[in-house]
Amino acid sequence: MSGVRLEVLWSPVHYDKFVAWGTEIFLYQTLPKTKDASDSSGIELSEMSSAQLLATNSNHHYLKCVDIYPKEEPDVLLAVGQANGKVALSTFGPSAFDASGLAGMELVPKHARQCNVVAWNRVDTNLIAAGLDRYRSDHCVLVWDVCSGVGGSGVAAVAELGLSDAAHSLAWLYSQPRALIVGMNNKHLKMVDLRDPSKAVNSSQTKAVHGLTVSAHNDYQVASFVDTQIAVWDTRSFDKPVLTMPQIKPVTKLLWCPTRHNLLGSLQRESRSIHLHDLQQSADDSADPSVLERSVKPGSASQITSFSWHPKHENRLLVLTLQGTLTDFCVFERITLNWSQTSHLVWTHGQNTLKMMCDSDTIYDSIGDISSLIKKRALLDYGLKTELKENAELVNEEGMKKLWLYLHQSKTLVKDGLLDLSIGTKLPPGVRSELRDKALLLCNWKFVHDTTAFQQIMEELEAEGAVTRGAALAVFSLRLRHSIKLLSTETKYSTVAMALSGYTEDKNSMWRESCTVSRTKLSDPYLRAIFAFLTADSENYDLVLNDGGMAVADRVGFALTFLSDLRLVDFITQLTDNLISDGNLAGILLTGGSIEALHLLQNYVDKTGDVQSVSLVAMRSFSPDLLDHDRTQYWINSYRDLLDSWRLWTQRAHFDIWHNRRTGTRPEQQIYVSCNFCGKSTSTQSLTRNKATYPRLGTSSNQNKMTCCPHCRKPQPRCSICLVNMGTASCYQPENSGTPTTKINPFDYWFTWCQTCRHGGHAAHMTQWFKEHLECPVTACSCRCLSLDAASNIISVSSVS
Amino acid sequence: MFSPHTINAEHRDLIHDVAFDHYGCRMATCSSDQCVKVWDKANCGSEWVQTALWKAHSGSVWKVTWAHPEFGQVLATCSFDRTVAVWEEIVSETISIGAAGMRHWVKRTNLVDSRTSVTDVKFAPKTLGLMLATCSIDGIIRIYEAPDVMNLSQWTLQHEVVFKLQCSCISWNPEFSRAQIPMLAVGSDDMSSSASNKIAILFFNEFVRKWVKLDNFSGVSDAVHDIAFAPRLGRSYDLMAVASKDVRIFTLTQIIKKNFRDALGGLRYEVHLAACFDDHNSSVWRVSWNVVGNILASSGDDGCVRMWRGKYL
Repeated sequence: MSGVRLEVLWSPVHYDKFVAWGTEIFLYQTLPKTKDASDSSGIELSEMSSAQLLATNSNHHYLKCVDIYPKEEPDVLLAVGQANGKVALSTFGPSAFDASGLAGMELVPKHARQCNVVAWNRVDTNLIAAGLDRYRSDHCVLVWDVCSGVGGSGVAAVAELGLSDAAHSLAWLYSQPRALIVGMNNKHLKMVDLRDPSKAVNSSQTKAVHGLTVSAHNDYQVASFVDTQIAVWDTRSFDKPVLTMPQIKPVTKLLWCPTRHNLLGSLQRESRSIHLHDLQQSADDSADPSVLERSVKPGSASQITSFSWHPKHENRLLVLTLQGTLTDFCVFERITLNWSQTSHLVWTHGQNTLKMMCDSDTIYDSIGDISSLIKKRALLDYGLKTELKENAELVNEEGMKKLWLYLHQSKTLVKDGLLDLSIGTKLPPGVRSELRDKALLLCNWKFVHDTTAFQQIMEELEAEGAVTRGAALAVFSLRLRHSIKLLSTETKYSTVAMALSGYTEDKNSMWRESCTVSRTKLSDPYLRAIFAFLTADSENYDLVLNDGGMAVADRVGFALTFLSDLRLVDFITQLTDNLISDGNLAGILLTGGSIEALHLLQNYVDKTGDVQSVSLVAMRSFSPDLLDHDRTQYWINSYRDLLDSWRLWTQRAHFDIWHNRRTGTRPEQQIYVSCNFCGKSTSTQSLTRNKATYPRLGTSSNQNKMTCCPHCRKPQPRCSICLVNMGTASCYQPENSGTPTTKINPFDYWFTWCQTCRHGGHAAHMTQWFKEHLECPVTACSCRCLSLDAASNIISVSSVS
Repeated sequence: MFSPHTINAEHRDLIHDVAFDHYGCRMATCSSDQCVKVWDKANCGSEWVQTALWKAHSGSVWKVTWAHPEFGQVLATCSFDRTVAVWEEIVSETISIGAAGMRHWVKRTNLVDSRTSVTDVKFAPKTLGLMLATCSIDGIIRIYEAPDVMNLSQWTLQHEVVFKLQCSCISWNPEFSRAQIPMLAVGSDDMSSSASNKIAILFFNEFVRKWVKLDNFSGVSDAVHDIAFAPRLGRSYDLMAVASKDVRIFTLTQIIKKNFRDALGGLRYEVHLAACFDDHNSSVWRVSWNVVGNILASSGDDGCVRMWRGKYL
């Protein structure tokens, strides 16, 4: 198939058929690719489709151009323009057209010369136009009516245009089926109406006379090219092109995309990509149109010789390369996407479809978006449980779980009086001291100096199955025998137990030598630590201390038990720094509620994005000073914003209540209710003060029924439904500095009103009214109170009603 | 095989932008068909229903964006027709049946300062008040403010910053506190220019009351199609994603040098390229962060939507 320039064309009516031609014409049918890859009869077009060669037509030798009959018939009828000027109608084998006499018909010009273009009329499908080279005394554009010639021997042209001109390209208009645009003589474009073919309706001087193409969407949009220039025309103002687009290389093909407005595809010589020109036009004509250019590379990297748009499928292209390989290609539209606050991800698919994925989809879990986890935990009242350790049950992440448990543990220690918060400034010398004991308590290492605690922790660890840790702790508290006993309970550690029993204090023994060597091969950090401890030279415990596999609490406990003051301080400082920069939550043990804890938690947030846990831990455990720190407030406010945007207002309110309880400052009163007439507050505060003045109102039995202002005794506004005066007394009593008294009025009796028309009434009445009505209940007021309240459309996630 | 939910948008031309409101309950789309559509999640369920459609501009509508709900139901759009429009949803005066007919969108203002196509528009974080940043083909960044939040028809042009290159996208840094310095990142898809840097990071200088370009940043030399700051949510630094020929993620760390007073008040930013992914193997069009700002979604010419998550060692 090489040597001759190949062309390709989708059938305008058979959406699964296309023709490709060089010296012969091939008809292909596309098939969606089956999963069964063994079906190798077709040519692979893309990952999704393959093509099957249906037929070959090799009857025409000097074919120049081809167009497919655009009437919906089961078979394909071709018009083949030849080098001798003849236009032959041809089919692939026997077809329905044989009977009608169309197949095999030849349309012959008077004088033989090359046919440059043939084009069927898309509307009057029996009309066909051919554009020919120049001949002295003949016309260059001939139009035939193929139906008129059926049965007869020869078909006479119904119209002839352009005497002794040359036609390089031509195209029919869609909306005016009798109008043609022809590019002539390398110097002008002419628009001709066949009803009066003698003169051109419109014409324009230009060299861009090649590859005329008319947009299927806007008939007045025409494009043509010459050499390296693409010109876009508007037939309504044909004098000059709307737009000229200079290209780098000579253009060889130009086609409007039939499925999208204003999109032009072009091919340049020796190019490996298709260029797309997206024309932007503003409706007010003052603005010059501009163009967005893109280039797409279909599949292979070889040179493209031709392409064709699919008539119906969105942005589908068929591309033919120099080697003859066909590629079925879909130009992806720019995908725009957005990710909502509520974990909906939306993106565009093609021109007209939106695709959406949300956190209720199973696939969303695999993304590992922490926000859905945060939301789930917020709904379970994470961090708001009264007991700190209950919060640990809601977290899966190990470090965070341990942190909650640690906070719980240290809180109980303080509560039990085992640990007071007044810590001395100087460490007294010696390995054993009161301060160290306190620190050991925090590490849960009380057992080192306490036999009952030792028994207890061993039982716990055995129950948990943490045999190696138990063994290590036993060794560290110098109970080697217990350790061996513990290890031998599990068969897989019996060899270790054996090795351990050979312990000798001799510094040069074989036991010590072999243990030092094989220690490194042990995978369990606690077993490693046991041997490192037993083989350590003169208090050099670096191997135990620096084993990252061991829990931080155990390492610290070990350091507290065995290190001298100087080295202990060094070790703790270094470990703290490391844990802070790692954002390791276990480091809270060392930082405590200090400013360093902020840095540690900040690093943890930077790593995981879990602002929720951090704000909650800070809110529950930080001192008021630290809680007021900018950074803490930043986390807390971020978390509040997050809850707000998820409409988890109940959770947010609970969070705020806890928060305010912790900070100790009470929020200021934000709402005051004052009397319409005297402007004084109508709260019960004034009511109690004025008890003497208005004894009638003072009795507690009718406190709820106070229907007038306690100051001026004017009646309060009426509910617009039941017409009873409002009797809401505020429950807010600033004199009792304790917690606000429990509400004295059920919500249904609360007063509510519209901010626009100022009408209102009992909350229960109002909700009931607006369930059925749009307008205000007050007669002659046409205010649409409820719909004016935009917030009423945003319901809380957890709201029941 | 996962098949996403499909919504038939029924725009008559290519959709250029999709935007969610603050609560994720409403969605706006804009298209080359010059129209804007608003979609509501029916009763905040899973179905999206189109509740409004109107012709917004006389040219392709490039971007649409929601204001924070505390300013009302407000949208801003920008278009090829060289204008930016601010829209508000109001309750109509005329009586009509059905809840959908009760509300409609009205144009509150048309910002016509640009001489060329306006390519992006974004509302500022709500702590800055009601502010808009726009950028256009002629390379000018404009910052508008509505001094009275109750009057959406009055906007004043506060600042004009010249970037020189044709702009394609703009992004505000996320709000985090009132003390935070407002920042804007602008990208350019200028192909003709050989300028080595297609991104400008601007921040507002309190001392001179002007937007100043961050000078020590030279990140991307290829055409930039989209740019997005990640939500901060407790993080100590800013993250910025750039859609260019590949996906790039930058970290911006604020360094305040004490005792160093100059025009910038001792403020410095350190910008680092944190990641660069070329898996799209072609142009990347859009980037978007999740709500926490630790996962990035990107779309490219390869027809794929890809997601990236930070991995910490």
